Amino acid sequence: MSAALAEALNPAVFWEYRAILLKGLAFNFYVFACAAAAALILGLGAALLRVNRWRALRWAGTLHVEIFRNAPDYVMVVWIHFVLPLLLGLAIGRRLEFPPFLSAVIALGLVYSGYFAETFRAGIQSIPLGQIEAGRACGMPERLILWRVILPQVVRRMLPEAVNQFVSLFKATTIVSLIAVPDLMYQVSMVTQQEMRPLPLYTGAALTYFAIVFLAASLVRAAAERWRQKVYA
Amino acid sequence: MSSIPAISVVDVHKSFGPLAVLKGVSFDVPRGSVVSMIGASGSGKSTLLRCINHLETPSAGEIYIDGEPMHFRVAGDGQRKPRPIAEINRLRRDLGMVFQQFNLWPHMTVLGNVVEAPRRVRGLKRSEAGELALECLRRVHLLDKAGEYPARLSGGQQQRVAIARALAMQPKAMLFDEATSSLDPELTDEVLAVMRDLARDGTTMIVVTHEMRFAREVSDRVLFLHNGLIEEAGAPEEVFGAPKSERCRQFLSKYLPKYVQ
Repeated sequence: MSAALAEALNPAVFWEYRAILLKGLAFNFYVFACAAAAALILGLGAALLRVNRWRALRWAGTLHVEIFRNAPDYVMVVWIHFVLPLLLGLAIGRRLEFPPFLSAVIALGLVYSGYFAETFRAGIQSIPLGQIEAGRACGMPERLILWRVILPQVVRRMLPEAVNQFVSLFKATTIVSLIAVPDLMYQVSMVTQQEMRPLPLYTGAALTYFAIVFLAASLVRAAAERWRQKVYA
Repeated sequence: MSSIPAISVVDVHKSFGPLAVLKGVSFDVPRGSVVSMIGASGSGKSTLLRCINHLETPSAGEIYIDGEPMHFRVAGDGQRKPRPIAEINRLRRDLGMVFQQFNLWPHMTVLGNVVEAPRRVRGLKRSEAGELALECLRRVHLLDKAGEYPARLSGGQQQRVAIARALAMQPKAMLFDEATSSLDPELTDEVLAVMRDLARDGTTMIVVTHEMRFAREVSDRVLFLHNGLIEEAGAPEEVFGAPKSERCRQFLSKYLPKYVQ
């Protein structure tokens, strides 16, 4: 029995396919990097709408946050990949298809922009008004105050929460295999179909994801904490 | 040219909703002079100071900086139009403001706080702005703290950095909004000493304060505000020595019993 178990867990098959699996893992990183960039930019945009003085713009920001924060990752990925091209195709009267990678980035970028928007907004609103008035009194235009006074502090304050969201986003990149983005999970299921050895392959994938997320998050947290402490002693 | 006051406040009103905080205030600040504003909390002195550099928009009236109207400009057809914010920002550069709560930027070093506006607003080169900032820090006796972050400084030191930050814009006038009100007595003195030095060097200053001794010794003119109006104005000897208004006398008696018979 234990020999069978050892055989089942033998990681050799995982190692044997390392080249193709590594290529899959690279796709996880591509999707993560592009979706994170999109989420940060869209999230900051939505947060700035939510703290705007015009009510219509505040509503637009709130709408964005509520729609995307409350949509499940999986549903968004499927909807963006299969439904959105269909709708757009009907609108322009032409068949339309998104490459899976693009759909994955748009869907995850939108969902996580909802979370980042709230983190940004809380950070922006935590900056004392006096610091902003000090900038105004020096003749600084609002845009300069945003870039030089508000955002550098917001980034420091939101880092711990942002790390958690980046971790969630990275883990969410594993569902893009469902629309055939060739990530690690996708490659593992392909190899499994050939080798009929799901146990070592999926276990290997699980351990790989765990190790990456754990190491990266620990490193970033430690670096972020040192950076924050320098200022908020 | 020299007869134009550095700051001229003409019939300024300010209301927040139904609450009228300023009900028509006028005074001039000649170049190189120190004007102190005293009065009870809620008398409108801070609001008036904030109107001067447009942190509050006056409901009516006008403020002239070196003869230039702050809030309006006269268009070609003679009509008064509100100034665009970019022009207000340009005029604000000429007014240094020091706040009760210091309002330093905590993520920048002391030097960074002082360099920021000359570099990004005035557009000075890094080296020029740096030299200017160090000179301003020398004036407030904090040259040795240039590399520190504000969180590591005492309240008095933070306020002196804030003064240096305002000086670095080389303003035509300095506005002090209860600059010592959130400091312990022993820290108050080091800030007042710096303000005295500035006054001695001929800096044009408007000082909102509860430090009656400072107001008496340093000011060229003292304004006593009550309920949004200037109730009493004059040289410090007049206002402190022989106030004409009963309210002013009552107010002063709380601070300086010995000045009132």
